[in-house]
Amino acid sequence: MVEVSTIYLLDVVSGESVEAELRDAIEPAQIDDWVTKWQPALLEVLQSLARRGVPITQWPQSWHWNWAQKTAKVQGLLAFRGFSVVARGETQGLAQIDLTKSGREPSQASKPLVYIDYLEVAPWNRPELGAAPRLRGVGTALITAAVALSEEEGFKGRIGLHSLPQADAFYARIGMTDLGQDPAYQNLRYFEMTAERAHAFLEEE
Amino acid sequence: MVAKRTMTLNLTDAEMRVLDDLSARKDITKTAVLRQALRLYQTIEARVEKGDKLLFENEATKEKAEMMFL
Repeated sequence: MVEVSTIYLLDVVSGESVEAELRDAIEPAQIDDWVTKWQPALLEVLQSLARRGVPITQWPQSWHWNWAQKTAKVQGLLAFRGFSVVARGETQGLAQIDLTKSGREPSQASKPLVYIDYLEVAPWNRPELGAAPRLRGVGTALITAAVALSEEEGFKGRIGLHSLPQADAFYARIGMTDLGQDPAYQNLRYFEMTAERAHAFLEEE
Repeated sequence: MVAKRTMTLNLTDAEMRVLDDLSARKDITKTAVLRQALRLYQTIEARVEKGDKLLFENEATKEKAEMMFL
C-alpha cells in the first residue's frame, strides 16, 4: 500500500503554490513518465548542449541514469525504498533509498542512516539545464521525505549521500556536512546530515 | 507510516545481551536492530542466490576472507 502525503511546491512563473503528492514508492506510472516525458526532455537539452559545443563535463551529470533498471534491481528488497513527487499529473522527482548504510561523520560513525542512492528532479524543474524551472521545491521535498523516513526508522534523522558535483552547493546549503571526496565512489563528495541538523531541518521545512 | 504487526520474540540471555549491545552501539531501538538485520539478511541472500560472494577485506592488511552463507 503506497502512502501518499500532500505537499506544496512553488510555481516559479506565477509564484503560486502547487499541490503535489509525495508517494513513498516508485511505481510503474513514474517509470512511464521517465520514459515518455523525462527522457525526451533530457534528450532535447543534451542535443542543444551538443549543438552549442558545451563540454560534456558541464552536461547534467545524471543524464545516463536509468530509473527502470535502478528500480527493477531492488524490487522486493526490504533494504531499498523509493519516493516520488507527482504534481499536475506528472512525476516531478524521484529518489531511491538504501537502508543498509552507516554514518561516517564522527558524531554518528557506524550508526545506521538513510542513504540516498539516487535523487533526480524532472528536467523541466532544473535551473542548471538552461530554461526557467517550472516547479521549485521538489529536491527539498525528497530530502525532507528521507529525513522523515530516518526518524520513522529510528535513525534519528541521519541521512547520507554521494553528491554529483552540480548538486554539491545544494547539499551544503541545506546544512549537510561535507566529508570530502570519496575515492571509493568515483571521487564524488560524501555528505551527511547529523541527527541534530536533521531536527532543525525538519522544523525549517 | 506503514502499518506494523507485533510478535513475541524468544531470545536466550546471550542473544538478548547481543541485542542490547547492538542497540546501544548503533543508537537504535532493539526493534530497529532486528529490522536492520532482516534487511541485511534478505539483501545478502538475494546476492548470494545470484551467484555473488560475500567477502570481508581488512583495510590495513588487504587480507580477504569469504563468508560462507548457507
